[in-house]
Amino acid sequence: MSKQQAAIVSAGFCEHASKRSDVNMAEMANEAIQDCLNNANIEMDAVDAIVMGNMPAFEGANLPELWMTDWVGARDKPLIRVTTGGTTGGSVAIAGYYHVAAGLPGIETVLAVAFEQQSCGNTSVGLSSVALGEISIVNALGLPAESAMRIFGAGAAIGIASYQAINYMKRSGCTEEDLARVVVQNRRNAAKNWWTHLKMPDYTIEQVMATPYVSYPLRFGMVTPASDGACAVLFTREEIAKDTVDIPAYVNGVSSVANETGIVGYAAAGAGQLDPCEQLGAVESAKLAYSQAGISFPEKEIDYAEVYSPFPNQELMWLERLGLFKENTAHLRYRDGTTAPNGELPVNCSGGVNSTNAIGASGLERVAEAALQIMGKAENQVPKTVHTSIGHGWGGCINFVTLTVLSDQPRRK
Amino acid sequence: MNKVGIVGYYQVPPALDHNMGRYELIFQAVRGALDNVGLKHKDVTSVVSATNDYYDGRTISNCFTVEAGGGYMKDETKVEMDGAFAVHYGMLRALTGHHKLVLVWGGSMSSCYPYSSSTLLSTDPTFERPLELINDMTAGAFQMRAYMNHFNVSAEDIAQVAVKNRRNATSNELALPESQLPAATTEMILKADVLSSPVTELMYSHPCDGAACIILAPEQQALKIRDDPVWITGVGYSQEAYYLGDRDLTQSQSMKNAAQMAYKMAGVKDPKKETDVAEVFEHFAHEEMIFSEALGFCKPGEGASLSTEIGGELPINPSGGAMSGNTPCATGMIRLIEAAKQIHGDASEHQVKDVHRVVASGQIGLCAQNNILFVLERGGRK
Repeated sequence: MSKQQAAIVSAGFCEHASKRSDVNMAEMANEAIQDCLNNANIEMDAVDAIVMGNMPAFEGANLPELWMTDWVGARDKPLIRVTTGGTTGGSVAIAGYYHVAAGLPGIETVLAVAFEQQSCGNTSVGLSSVALGEISIVNALGLPAESAMRIFGAGAAIGIASYQAINYMKRSGCTEEDLARVVVQNRRNAAKNWWTHLKMPDYTIEQVMATPYVSYPLRFGMVTPASDGACAVLFTREEIAKDTVDIPAYVNGVSSVANETGIVGYAAAGAGQLDPCEQLGAVESAKLAYSQAGISFPEKEIDYAEVYSPFPNQELMWLERLGLFKENTAHLRYRDGTTAPNGELPVNCSGGVNSTNAIGASGLERVAEAALQIMGKAENQVPKTVHTSIGHGWGGCINFVTLTVLSDQPRRK
Repeated sequence: MNKVGIVGYYQVPPALDHNMGRYELIFQAVRGALDNVGLKHKDVTSVVSATNDYYDGRTISNCFTVEAGGGYMKDETKVEMDGAFAVHYGMLRALTGHHKLVLVWGGSMSSCYPYSSSTLLSTDPTFERPLELINDMTAGAFQMRAYMNHFNVSAEDIAQVAVKNRRNATSNELALPESQLPAATTEMILKADVLSSPVTELMYSHPCDGAACIILAPEQQALKIRDDPVWITGVGYSQEAYYLGDRDLTQSQSMKNAAQMAYKMAGVKDPKKETDVAEVFEHFAHEEMIFSEALGFCKPGEGASLSTEIGGELPINPSGGAMSGNTPCATGMIRLIEAAKQIHGDASEHQVKDVHRVVASGQIGLCAQNNILFVLERGGRK
């Protein structure tokens, strides 16, 4: 058991859509696995262990890894399933890293699989048990049950996002058009990837602004879709990685620092107000992962970012919290084209979560795309050479963050 | 070679319907484990939890446990399996050197949900679930019948395992009170209510409420915390085919694979001679026999002939095993805690003499589809 340098050598996707009625979740995950193995010319026999993840409540299937055994190639192989809500994909990637990095004898190549088939169930119902939170806290707010249901149940993800958006606009001077600009960039990027959901190559700011509000200031045209989809990523040791691909994406930093649980501004542990824009978990995760990777100046050293932003304002918030842009300036970087594929710091060239959101898979897709940009194999490859990239995930009750730092060089020791 | 030590642990006494909330159970487990070795929350660098969305009736079951489980501002994650798998992931985290102290906890309140219905929800949703025929109990009954017929084992032999575990549970102060039967006899086991023929109520590890916590540290850190950490010298885990028809239910292929991997890592050649105690997660009495065969303690079909009581040639489940209280998401972890107690000599009335090496297992799935095995050894400064 000696420490190993882990690297990503391949990633695969299945086609994402609102309803993948042609396949069940096992077959869908299998499509991504086949794509991942084919891309690296590797057979399933070479995989020593499997890490899986999804949000089981969305499909109404408990412990899906058990009946999906043969579709994910897990028969007579070690398998564990990790699930942490919206960050599931990110947590699966991190677990894949730890499996390789720990250096257990016989576990050298690990397949990380994450998927979600939201059309199998009702995501809003699944989410309501999160949004409603602890009944004791709802009681403490002194709201009648009906109002509480309306506020928490109907609000769910977009409720928090609206709060964050208004807060961000107020202090930075970001306009609604700036939010639309983020969406347009994402949807146009998505059109350049075969596997994404909302491909809109000709989307314009005017079109976004013409759609009605879902919850001010977020409009229908800015909202993330509910997708069916899967993603698979192959982690392996440095020596094997070098033999498999020209440029492996070395995993140099991983973190998932949890913040206090918050329900629409109220801290679940009763500490009082919790600002959903503060995102202390992201700040601390960034510190931890960057220090592991030896990054001192993230704004200079990171060349590419895949952040988890179902709503456009969150993309701006994350880029600032993760230390890539100065406070209250991220929207200006979208105006001057810094974040475009040919810009200085390209962001979400896959189209991001705003264009494709198979919830359990989204976090892993961020890591996969960040790795592919380093390997030079992304569909929407950026023109500049990417040395260091990050894949970010977000979820839980606004309190979970995952961050993976990838590089074309192994960790400096 | 790096290794990871178990430096602290705590088990909340189980109950069929606990007079505490979920967070209180978790907090008690985590606080207890830290207090037992004089550690503080600030010493912890990573937290791995084991809960299940279906058992907790909540999407993202670890979402609201961050505070009670010690995860605030820690590198936190969740394994949605038996707690033993979470311990494995915690061990990997410690091995990489990123973390100096990994806290692993697991637990659930089965008084709040119908456990067997949730196992129905874990069956194939297209073909099996609509029939509503298969759950943990009926699958266990298939397996027991197959095992009895194939090896010509009598129901009395299998009931004997339940007799031993329920008697052992009597001397375990952390056993579920309802599971303790000091005067258990094979007749009593066989005449109990039938759950699914031939499995009777007393052959079944009944789900209950509880929580448990284990603290792990890499070698050097572990020796700073205590002189006698319990070392994890081997771990193996494997998943076998899902469909019962695809499997040979008379044996446990996944446990064989897990044992092969763990023994190789720990350098165990003759498991029967080199192991002093085994703590296995047996969901049913017959599973303990199938596991003892898969672990190489005896030949296939000869599990009944092994002397496994406390003081026997190879004591299995001196704590009473899962039969002494099956807390979904914590049972495998509790087997590890019991194994560590045996090594530390802290097992009070069910202590086995001179314990150096223990194997402990966790499982998940119908007829134990996915098994994990740990080899634990007595530690200390050389």
